[in-house]
This record gives sequence, C-alpha cells and structure tokens, in this order.
Amino acid sequence: MNGRGIAAIALIIGIVVGFSIGWFAPALLPPAPAPSLVAQIQARGSLYVGTSSDWPPFEIYNTTTDQYEGFDIDLCEMIAAHLGVTVTWFDMDFDALPAACIAGTIDMIAAAMFVTPERAEQLAHSVPYIRTNQVVVVKGNSTLTITDLEDLEGYTVGVQSGTVEDLDLTDLVDAGVGINLVRYARADIMLADLEAGGLDATYVDEPVFTVYSGIYFLKTIYTYPAPPTALFCRWENPDLLQEINIVILNAFADGTMDALIAQWFG
Amino acid sequence: MLQAPDLPSIFFYIIFHGLPITLILTAHGLIWGFLIGLLLALMRVYGTREIEWVAIAYEKVFRGIPLLVLIFLFAFGVPGLFWFIDPLYRTLAAVILSLALRSGAYQSQILRGAILSVNPGQQLAARALGMSRLQAFRYVVMPQALRMALPSWSNEYAVVIKDTTFASAVGIIEMLRVTFRVVANNPEMLFPPLVILAIIYLIFTYPITRFFGERQTQKLKDLGLGG
Repeated sequence: MNGRGIAAIALIIGIVVGFSIGWFAPALLPPAPAPSLVAQIQARGSLYVGTSSDWPPFEIYNTTTDQYEGFDIDLCEMIAAHLGVTVTWFDMDFDALPAACIAGTIDMIAAAMFVTPERAEQLAHSVPYIRTNQVVVVKGNSTLTITDLEDLEGYTVGVQSGTVEDLDLTDLVDAGVGINLVRYARADIMLADLEAGGLDATYVDEPVFTVYSGIYFLKTIYTYPAPPTALFCRWENPDLLQEINIVILNAFADGTMDALIAQWFG
Repeated sequence: MLQAPDLPSIFFYIIFHGLPITLILTAHGLIWGFLIGLLLALMRVYGTREIEWVAIAYEKVFRGIPLLVLIFLFAFGVPGLFWFIDPLYRTLAAVILSLALRSGAYQSQILRGAILSVNPGQQLAARALGMSRLQAFRYVVMPQALRMALPSWSNEYAVVIKDTTFASAVGIIEMLRVTFRVVANNPEMLFPPLVILAIIYLIFTYPITRFFGERQTQKLKDLGLGG
C-alpha cells in the first residue's frame, strides 16, 4: 500500500473518530444547568428578558431617552425588583423569540405574546394579564366591509409573521379561502405598505391600530377578541414561572396592574 | 440620544449606536475567516488529494448555506454550543462563528487563486538557493500572494460588512436594528432612516473597495504582478 492510501485511510478514521467524539462530547462536557433558574438569575444579578421593540404601547425602545418603555417593560421591571435583580433586554425579531427562549439565551419573553395551544406546547405561560382585540384595519377611505374573515377572499392582506393573526389567516388560506396573504417582520413597515396602497387590509392587534391611527388615516372594519396575553418562560423552570405569577397576581390584587393598564392604554 | 428626528441627528444616532457593533462583527468575521481561508487554501494547494477533498467539501457546504440559516442554527439550534460563554454574548458568538465560517469558505478561494498566481519558478529558485519548502513559502510566495489577494479581499470585506445586518434578527443591536428603533419611534417617517442607513453602508464600503480594488490593482500591474 502506498503512502497516499495510508493517508486516505488515516483521514477517514480520523474523521469518523472526530465526529464520534463530537457526538458524545455534549453528554460528557457541560454539567446539566443548576436546578433552580431563579437562583441562577439572582447569582448573576440580572433577568434576561427577550422582547421585540416595535410594538407600542407594549414595548418600544425610546430613542430620545435611550430606554425601553411600555407596559411589558414596566411589568418585567416589577418582576426583576421582586427577585432583587435588574433586567437585561434582548431585542430581537418577534418570531425568533420562542427559539431564543427554548435555547436558553433568554429567561423569559415579554412581547405582548398571546397564549395559544401551539405556543403552550413549546413554552410555559404566566397568568394572562391583559386581553386585547384583533382588528382588520383598512385605509380610512376604503369601501371594503366584511362580516367574517372569510370575506377577505380575493384581497391582499398583511399580517406580522408569527403572530396569532398570521396563524388565523394561514389556517383560512390552507382551508382554501383565496386570501393573498403577505407576511411582514415588522408592524411599522406593514402599515406603511397599507398606506402606500400595497395592501387592501391588515389584521393586527388593536393597540397597534390605536398607535398608527394617529399617523395614518385608518379605520377598523372587523373586531375579534384576541387570545389572552401572557409572559412566557420554559416549562423546565417552574420556579421562575411561579415568581412571575406571584408578581402579576399581587399587581392585580393591589391595583398596580390597573394603574399600569390605565397608564399605557388609557 | 436622538435629539430630534431630523436627518443629520438620525445619521449620527445610527453611527454612534450601531456602528461599533457592526465593525466588531465585520472585523471578527474577516480575521477568523482569513485564518480559516488560509488553512483551506494551503490544504488545497499543497495538500494531498484527500486533504484537498476535505477543503473542497468544506467550501461547498458553507458556500451553500444561507447566512441567516447558519446564524439561527448556531444561535438557537444548538443550545449547548456556547455553554462556556455567558448567555449575554452567546448570540454574538454565534453570529461571529457564522460570519467566520462562511467568509472562510470564500476567502480560501481568494487566497488559493493568489497563491497559484505566484510563478512556480520562484518557488523552484528559492529551493535552489537552499531554502526549505516552508521558508520558500514564507519568504517568497506568501508576501506576493497576500498583496495579490488584496483587491478581491476588499470585495470580501464589503460582503461581510453588509451581511452583519443579519445579526439584527437574533437580537444584536447593530445598525439595522438601531435604524428600526428610530423608525418605531417616528412611524411617520419610514424611508428616510432606511435611506440614511444605505448611505452609511455605502460610505463604509465604496472608498475601501475603490482604494483596494482599483488603486491596488493598478499598483500590482505596475509591479508586473497579477492582472
């Protein structure tokens, strides 16, 4: 056997051994995370919260004061104060949040996220703290009227991808309703497209409509009660979930929650 | 702090808040990518056929995967990957790893071409002077090859700095994310901040690609190197 053949065999053996070590290494190397996430959070002095800062009045990054602001932001500050830590914000795309939470990059999600059966399978949700509406929004001079979402057949409708509105309309499209669905990563771009005439309608949360009706001439033509909104964390960390629920329930009991709702949605 | 939503303030706000991270990502992507690319190029030029296969396979794989997929894969798809890093910096590490692995696959092509463009006669001459293969490579081939790689390498810089925008999806506060924050605060103006961002990227790519791409090529031509 010549040198080249030996080299080839050595290489193949090396690759096989290397990949096998790589395959088993995760089981050998990092110790399983400490049992209590709350203890970890308190040890590091910071609660890692994921959000998507394009959703006023729930969360927005105020570029004048360089601070996060909004209903969810205040709520998470209350939770952090209860745990005796500060909040570190992770500002990412809305549909990247569940993956980030499952992967352990963030401890919890505060992004005005609705509780749905699909999400409850992936992530643990807190006590719901607010319930809003989903609305179909059109331009103020539009003549479009609907009595049901099926009536959107034949129209171009925008949704923010990964939202419950997206899932609802996707289900309709899968069932054969001919809605031309356009998915956007961000609400502001979607509403700019509606204003520019690229969309016939959008299906969004009511608070978003409230914010943008101050900028564009818009009206709602259909209102549907949204699923309840909650904070999310991992099923493997019931201790953190418990602390979150304690804070929310206490806030309801002593009126802080009503004051918060009045402050941001009043 | 954004004082007023006029165009110069937005320009400087994006620069101050987003540019450092964008440049850090670009530098890491290019430097680690260069090391990976150099290794791959050496494997392809001087390695045996089997070693060459490994390098070619690597290039095929990483040139074939979209960067955003790589970033999501390393950031959230493999949760234990950066277990030794604080979660605060895991997504940053994932983005740098993706940029470096991808850029390495492209830079290896650049460097391989540059090494091959040095006349093999020079290698022989150096060997005839009594240099070892390694010395001949280190003192004769490499200095010329790196100079010849510069024009294409400046192109790779332009690619990497633009690709750092993908990092915004996983929560890195780079220039695109900062721009969207400005938009979220001033929803009445969507396009001006985006146009300003485009201009900033142009400022950071065009002069570099022009200097290295055109002037350096001319300089090499004057020296009788490359094309």
